[in-house]
Amino acid sequence: MAVRITGIGIISAIGLNVAENLFSLENGKSGIGRIQYLDQEGAYLVGEVKCSNEELINRLHVKSRPVSRTSLLGLAAAREAWGGNKLSAKLRTGIISATSVGGMDQTEHFYRNYLGHTNPDFQVLKCHDSGNTTERIAAELGISGYINTLSTACSSGANAIMLGARLIEQGKLDRVLVGGTDALTQFTLNGFRSLMIYDDQWCRPFDESRSGLNLGEGAAFLLLENDKSVELSGNETLACLSGWANAADAYHQTASSPDGRGATLAIQNAIEVSGLSALDISYINAHGTGTKNNDLSESVALLNVFGDNYPDFSSTKPFTGHTLAAAGAIEAVFSVLAIQNNFIFPNLNYSQAILETGLVPSTEFQTDQPVTSVLSNSFGFGGNNSSLVFTVNIS
Amino acid sequence: MYITAASTISHQPTFKNAGFSKSIEPLQNNSELIIPNFKEYIDAGLLRRMSKILRMSVTAAKDCLKQAAIDQPGAIIVGTGLGCLQDTEKFLNNFLTIEGLLPPTSFIQSTHNTIAGQISLSIGNHGYNMTHTQNTLSFEYALIDAGLLLGEGNDNIIVGAADEYIELLSIIGEHLHVKSEVNLTSGASFFLVSKEQSVKSLARIKDIETVGLVEDIEESIENFLTNNTLQKSEIDMVLYSDFYDIKDSGQVADFIQRFDVSSEVLNYTNLIGVYPSNSAFAIHYAVDRIQDNNKIKTVLIINRLNKINLGLTLIESLEA
Repeated sequence: MAVRITGIGIISAIGLNVAENLFSLENGKSGIGRIQYLDQEGAYLVGEVKCSNEELINRLHVKSRPVSRTSLLGLAAAREAWGGNKLSAKLRTGIISATSVGGMDQTEHFYRNYLGHTNPDFQVLKCHDSGNTTERIAAELGISGYINTLSTACSSGANAIMLGARLIEQGKLDRVLVGGTDALTQFTLNGFRSLMIYDDQWCRPFDESRSGLNLGEGAAFLLLENDKSVELSGNETLACLSGWANAADAYHQTASSPDGRGATLAIQNAIEVSGLSALDISYINAHGTGTKNNDLSESVALLNVFGDNYPDFSSTKPFTGHTLAAAGAIEAVFSVLAIQNNFIFPNLNYSQAILETGLVPSTEFQTDQPVTSVLSNSFGFGGNNSSLVFTVNIS
Repeated sequence: MYITAASTISHQPTFKNAGFSKSIEPLQNNSELIIPNFKEYIDAGLLRRMSKILRMSVTAAKDCLKQAAIDQPGAIIVGTGLGCLQDTEKFLNNFLTIEGLLPPTSFIQSTHNTIAGQISLSIGNHGYNMTHTQNTLSFEYALIDAGLLLGEGNDNIIVGAADEYIELLSIIGEHLHVKSEVNLTSGASFFLVSKEQSVKSLARIKDIETVGLVEDIEESIENFLTNNTLQKSEIDMVLYSDFYDIKDSGQVADFIQRFDVSSEVLNYTNLIGVYPSNSAFAIHYAVDRIQDNNKIKTVLIINRLNKINLGLTLIESLEA
């Protein structure tokens, strides 16, 4: 049984809504550039959403403060995905968001002032915890009841989507808004710097010369509905979520295993749940962060599952930057767009295959073949690996 | 869902101390975390780098596996309200004060999923691995996830909750005027839950419900009991936590007063202290009481530690 996707919303470095994101993807326009908004010294390349907090607050008509940038980004995407849907006593509605930083964008300012004894604003800490990020979004949309937040580093967004599908499959909810949101923070930028995997140049996923990631920020949400809910809402099905799986690599707290064990398990199981075979996959939206370790491990996993006959694949992170907990949700929206339009997105900044595996990503924007099923990978710290399978709506 | 094993590390003598519920008293203000011998559970090299929350969680999870005599659980699910605060604060300090190269360990260990990740690493588990962080309902959401997995054919799942105290929390509490008379504490409670009853089963979790942005507490409790075809008079023990009652003002909320006088009613936050996922302790407490007293058959846990969230959990003895 597949779960219907009837709404999508997104905000990222390449656009403030779905249409703007699609336009940038079609035209090969990356959103990565020098820091404009984050309070951080240094000439880092980042994928920022091109809006200050004040601009976001005005656009979204948010009244109560403090509010984290993470909540604001999430609200922008969640509102677009929710669209004109109405709350109904007949439909059990929930929301699951994912975040890795929560309100850290506010907390880090507080903490700098706290250390410097320069009048720290304790009030902003009310929006620090990750759960609050989601509660704020839920409150703005009027959703109560099942309000949940997942935090599994870079696989969080995919896990939120998977959990929503499972709640619908087991009849716990009729519809659920699922996604993820993360603001760019000094905390994460310096964190990835400390790990020596922040690339000072453009990130180059699946390229032999790759040397790290560029961080991004953003949010994306999808509205999942069961048949009963669609009957009542009358919403059009954009695509279906057909397969999902989560597996632990259990290799190292930050590094992925060289044999891609966790990733292989997640991909295989997700395809199995979808009822498809590896041959049916039209396109893979890879995790492809641009780090030495991830891209090698993911390439090995792709070879394990698909062999040399692998389908078109690309990482869209050179467009958006790595948006951490939002990545799985942003790339899920891209996967839906790929299916809706028969598009395959290019892997920017690629020139030479990784020596050990020789995998060649898709580098051109393609519109000449049907895209009926998309595999989307999200792999994270702590060995959290998740894969999702999206399919064209056939009913 | 059956509870096959339970383990808690806290400010009370809960660890490896079945029957603890008979002897524990409300927490004193100067209480401290009772630290077990972590070396019995964690490799010394790993232990050195681990923060308090990681030590507590890995140890309690491993203790559950030992009790249940199971090497590999089917999945590992953790709920945490605030995550790895010690490492988060440490990394904030580092990048705001150190010029040049930064040590990465505290960043690596600052993410919420480090807890479930370290448990999977310490036992080499490749199963489903998940971290829920929803304020005071984080544990209830982890438990609901475990229930879904059991319905999907998974079994023998490690599910638990942990939160750690850092000094900054007390300072924040003072500034935000939410200073509680009850200690801010650290704690970790882990369980092994199974689909079928076995000789090792301790109790059954009959139902869990979460109400985020709750409006009508009493109505939510009524509906929950109705869905489980229970009357208030059939509840033998109510374990609750109440946002408005953590100062132990003696005022008991209306939703508690409506229960039958024959029900035993107890505010568990007075026993364990304040941390966002302390409702996991309430389950262990209920399980421990049930083992000790066969008259306690049905226990309702009402988690209202935060005024906007309501968690309801129904525990039954195996005879119920």
